[in-house]
Amino acid sequence: MPEFEQRNSAVVGVSTDSKFSHKAWLQTPRKKGGIEGCKYPLLADFTKKLSADYGVLQEASGIAVRGLFLINPEGVVDAIQVNNLPIGRNVDEVLRLLDAFQEHQKNGVVCPIGWAKGKEAIKPAEAAAWFEKHAK
Amino acid sequence: MSVRVGEKAPEFTLDGVVKGDFKSVALKDYRGKWLGLFFYPLDFTFV
Repeated sequence: MPEFEQRNSAVVGVSTDSKFSHKAWLQTPRKKGGIEGCKYPLLADFTKKLSADYGVLQEASGIAVRGLFLINPEGVVDAIQVNNLPIGRNVDEVLRLLDAFQEHQKNGVVCPIGWAKGKEAIKPAEAAAWFEKHAK
Repeated sequence: MSVRVGEKAPEFTLDGVVKGDFKSVALKDYRGKWLGLFFYPLDFTFV
């Protein structure tokens, strides 16, 4: 995952399956529904405690819904997205959020709606000038 | 219990598979880095 490594970040996946199931899935070719070649760790929340701790455990079925938690270098949660079961996530959006939080951390700016790397962010002390320039 | 933005992420240490091997992974292994921690329902389904 070079896009994540370039951003001083890592990805970890978790489900309530066992580690043995994870291993079998990791050894199954993609064309057979597997994820062979997947580089990031997959963790086995076999007791379902972690899913419950993060509020994503669907208790009736014992499985976790599609939650994403962006955790910063100090161990604080900076962003949360939780999708119900049928809908997958978007890696580009995760990268956009990482860029935005890192831009904020580095330059003290805030990132308005639709901000992406390369667009001008808002310097809080000069917000009026930003609106003058960008508002339609 | 649930997780909120701006609060400490719940710590964990769990067994899993890392580069093909069984290994234990902890949240604190990622201190100093950003981490995208994602949950998905089941192996052999889409993520």
